Amino acid sequence: MNRRTIGLIAAGALGLAGGGAALADGKTVFETNCVACHGSGVAGAPKMGDAAAWAPRIKAGQAALYESALKGKKGMPAKGGNPAISDADVKAAVDYMVAQSGGKGGGDKAAEKAPEKAAGKPAPKEAAVPAKPAAPEKAAETPKPAPAPAPAPTQVAAAKPAAAPISPAAEVNAFNRLLKPAGKRNLPPTQDGIHDPANDGTQLLQPPMEAFKILPRSPGGNGVNWVQALESNKIAPRYDKADPNAAPVVMDLNIVREVKGSMPDVVYPHKQHTEWLDCSNCHPAIFVPQKGANQISMAAILLGQKCGVCHGKVAFPVSECRLCHSKKKDTITTGAAK
Amino acid sequence: MKPCRGAVAGAIVLLAVLQFLASPPARAEYGDVLINKRSEKEGMRPVVFPHWFHRIRFRCKVCHNELGFKMRAGGNDVLMVDIIEGKFCGMCHNGQIAWSPENCDLCHSGKPGLQTKIFGSHQTGGPGRW
Repeated sequence: MNRRTIGLIAAGALGLAGGGAALADGKTVFETNCVACHGSGVAGAPKMGDAAAWAPRIKAGQAALYESALKGKKGMPAKGGNPAISDADVKAAVDYMVAQSGGKGGGDKAAEKAPEKAAGKPAPKEAAVPAKPAAPEKAAETPKPAPAPAPAPTQVAAAKPAAAPISPAAEVNAFNRLLKPAGKRNLPPTQDGIHDPANDGTQLLQPPMEAFKILPRSPGGNGVNWVQALESNKIAPRYDKADPNAAPVVMDLNIVREVKGSMPDVVYPHKQHTEWLDCSNCHPAIFVPQKGANQISMAAILLGQKCGVCHGKVAFPVSECRLCHSKKKDTITTGAAK
Repeated sequence: MKPCRGAVAGAIVLLAVLQFLASPPARAEYGDVLINKRSEKEGMRPVVFPHWFHRIRFRCKVCHNELGFKMRAGGNDVLMVDIIEGKFCGMCHNGQIAWSPENCDLCHSGKPGLQTKIFGSHQTGGPGRW
């Protein structure tokens, strides 16, 4: 293939980018958007490949199918609930499903052309839907390359010890590598590293800080003192999913656990726990409801057992030692200390 | 169409580069659960469940007792069919108590490639063990 031919194909592919290239991607559009329902046939969606289910729909005509896909029908939202897909892509996906389900897809011709085009000019194909999941994946797979020089200036200003210009390579050995600096807590979903910023829904999600602003703060976890927030009626979480007036069954009983060593004893308040939880959440699977029957250690908690089932994941983390170890020992151990 | 596609491609490349540079260990909110048992295999983005958002509105007991969610990340087998039939998330996400499951991308909003886990373990942002 000489250069001129490649150029011609490239030009052709570019010219077709609006229609042709999109049509060729019916399969990818289907796999990224439609498969959730049409793959298994949930919510009344005709399952792909099920010729019997598709036959009457195909009979109604391609135009009607396009119409249903673009505008929605019964359980199906318009464009399958993703308004970001172009009309051409939706139609391509319809053609693909029809072709796979016993009908003759309108996009067959374009699909045949696809490999040729891809060879000549891969760019437009890249720009279509499949690139979206692929790109972040690539980034996620790579095991932490040299950290950014770009976002550094603001964060460096916040973290004083790092103020001196450090070469990017040295940052892998940075002090408190995993400790979140103040500026990196409670980030909005688009920046939190686990939401896909390319997803439209991500933009609609509430940024945590917006909700936390009016709540009492705490140094650990979300940075919110949830118990205090509840006590001061800053939040009113339901005790029953449907009934906003259902009141919790609160049990006011403190359990004091004497601990070895110099740490203050642990006071376990049933009150604050029963405000949130049901007895069966902890008893008897996590804690046997019998005095002396439970071996609890910080090691177990850090491994996610006992208190660590919640504390360290959703309830305040173990860094808040004194919230549990809150009862001074009566007898002062003499000798070793002085 | 052409310039639009170019812009999209540019934005994607830019995003990829930014992610490369930023490459966060985890800046997720404390208690966020990433659920990717099936999502990606089925061609959807993984699900992000924000504990903080739900605990402002419900006490733990509602989901971990009434709704039958086990208190272990990855310990629950939740299928989309179940949710549509009104089990698990679908007990509230039914268009009556909370918005209905048609809003796919509000839950399926996670970054592709991430594994199922809870982001906790005090402030380190490391993965919760269970």
